Amino acid sequence: MKIIDYTKPVRQSSKGVLVIFALNAYKFIRHFFVFFIAIGLTISKKESFKFLTVGTLITIGIIILLIILIVAVLRYLNFKFHLTSDEFHLSTGIINKDITIIPKSKIQNVYIKQNFIQQLINVVGLNIETAGDEKSEIHINALDKPTALRLKKELFNKILTKDSDSQVDDSSTVFYRISTKRLILEGISQNHLRSFAIITSFVFGLYYEFRDYVKEQMLLERFKAMTHFDNDSFISVMITGVFMILFALLLSLLFSIIKTFIINFNLEVLEHKKTIEINKGLFNKISLSLTPSRIQNIIIKTNRIKAYFGLYTLSVKQAMVHAKQQKNFVIVAMNKQQIEHLVKKLYKTYETISEVYKPQLYYKRILAYRMLIVIMILNLVAYMIFKTNFWLINIVLGLISVLYVNLKYKKAYYQIDADYVTVGRGFIDRVTEIFEIHKIQSIVIKQSVFQKRKQIASLEISTASEDVTIPYIKEDEAKRIYNFLLFKVESQDKDWM
Amino acid sequence: MNFTNTQIHNEMMPSIDDVILKPISKAYIKVIIVNSVIVYGIILSVLTAIKVFLKKEVIQDNFWYLFVIVLVICAFNFVTALLAFKKRQYAIREKDVIYAKGFIVHSVTTVPVSRIQHIETSRSWLDRKLNLATLNIYTAGESGTDLSIKGLPNKEAKQVNDFLSSKVNENN
Repeated sequence: MKIIDYTKPVRQSSKGVLVIFALNAYKFIRHFFVFFIAIGLTISKKESFKFLTVGTLITIGIIILLIILIVAVLRYLNFKFHLTSDEFHLSTGIINKDITIIPKSKIQNVYIKQNFIQQLINVVGLNIETAGDEKSEIHINALDKPTALRLKKELFNKILTKDSDSQVDDSSTVFYRISTKRLILEGISQNHLRSFAIITSFVFGLYYEFRDYVKEQMLLERFKAMTHFDNDSFISVMITGVFMILFALLLSLLFSIIKTFIINFNLEVLEHKKTIEINKGLFNKISLSLTPSRIQNIIIKTNRIKAYFGLYTLSVKQAMVHAKQQKNFVIVAMNKQQIEHLVKKLYKTYETISEVYKPQLYYKRILAYRMLIVIMILNLVAYMIFKTNFWLINIVLGLISVLYVNLKYKKAYYQIDADYVTVGRGFIDRVTEIFEIHKIQSIVIKQSVFQKRKQIASLEISTASEDVTIPYIKEDEAKRIYNFLLFKVESQDKDWM
Repeated sequence: MNFTNTQIHNEMMPSIDDVILKPISKAYIKVIIVNSVIVYGIILSVLTAIKVFLKKEVIQDNFWYLFVIVLVICAFNFVTALLAFKKRQYAIREKDVIYAKGFIVHSVTTVPVSRIQHIETSRSWLDRKLNLATLNIYTAGESGTDLSIKGLPNKEAKQVNDFLSSKVNENN
């Protein structure tokens, strides 16, 4: 195997042209998709566009593709990177030349991705992330796998040694590999409401884009005619309603399962000496390493159904990672022992909670007030829609509120030890947040005039990735925690990154 | 329900109760008044404009109810804003910055100096007239946790800015 010398500026694998081309073509088509259809429809109707024969259209298409190809080649030629002992250099740009330099010590993540095209031509993409915004991220589109792995390793190495290829690989053990059964269980026990929301927004989005054509075709009128009911046939409306809901539920269920399957296909967690590696994905294969010192928060999630099947989800939060990337740091469907092991791996001195403290009962009252406001608003809405019998919704709302208040209170707790803060919360989900004290960025103590009389206060603790609240505890205790956490942060010389 | 910690004695830890918080400049109350008057003025004049130009019955009939409700909300808002003025206090300790504010919900925020990313002072037109400045302190936390100390005397803001900047640079 030819070994690339990174110390001098090099280009990526020549297959990169293909990847860049495909990506740009895809982007182009996605941006102008609706526009194309609109043009197509206009042309097919108007006489004045008759000169546009199939032949000319194809020529135009080929010219556009050629331009994209030329741009891709130029981008490829101008994309050069190299490594020095403690920095990564990258120069890009066809007309405007950009040079990006990232010190190794500021690198937060290096991960290897393989999308569908990259899988086809057998190359991998490499992403380098710092704790900055999206712009400071680096994508290398095409490297062969051994090269990418070596580059990744060297980026993590503090000192670049010349003969690093002869180094022994640090041993790794596969700690967790997802089974198909657990994957499907995870899919089933997903929050289907969310899937339903995604599907609905997608359908509405499509409708919004094509509404003119929909109107033209009078689809809506036809649909209305199809589903027209007599006002008095209440039962038939009910039955249709039930069927619609069942259908929507089934669709959401299917969507959840397929989504979970595609994202988490072949999920495996590898344990290295210091880091943890996550591999997953069907169409978009992802491989990323987690360095414990870069972690800001750990969040463990489960719910009643998931707990029954022994399914726990662990998410790792890092500083300034945007939402799309954040999804990659999620490990689903682990059992309790695996979760405990992993937390122990990431947080060496973390002790599983023995004794927990709960918020004051005042919290329940606040929750009840909150629900009361929601109920009042919903009643107003219901009154406008149903007029008579609107109060019937209060039966359902009342039940939900009682459940909400009790479950929220039951699941709320906190615990603070010498190095870690653990906070539990959740309504349907049971959420556990853990973070190291020295990752704290700021603390707020909050108290309303009403709480002052009752000597109750809340704490808001922020790390670089999350704001965690300890709600409604005794004032003197809140102050003690406040003082203690500040003392810990300020007396230790530990960096947050 | 006790928070205990056996390793460090509580008395040894510096407490926020011992900190003497310093009020911001008295002149800032003028900024509050001017800002409030501008905002309420805009809201009320928009409301009046609606009455004058939209001749709908619903609006004409209920105008005064609406007007009074908005006026009461504005008055309430104004009074709490004035009361909250006294609660705007701050302190710079050796290792952290403390800022307290709020009348109905009182909050005390502390940012350790070692967690400050950068500091800036900003001055609006009114600030310049009254010789005031706003001190913005940014952390790497979620955007909501950044501190913004308004209504400092300009000279003091500069001093604090220089002091904290040198501390932050020292840490790096």
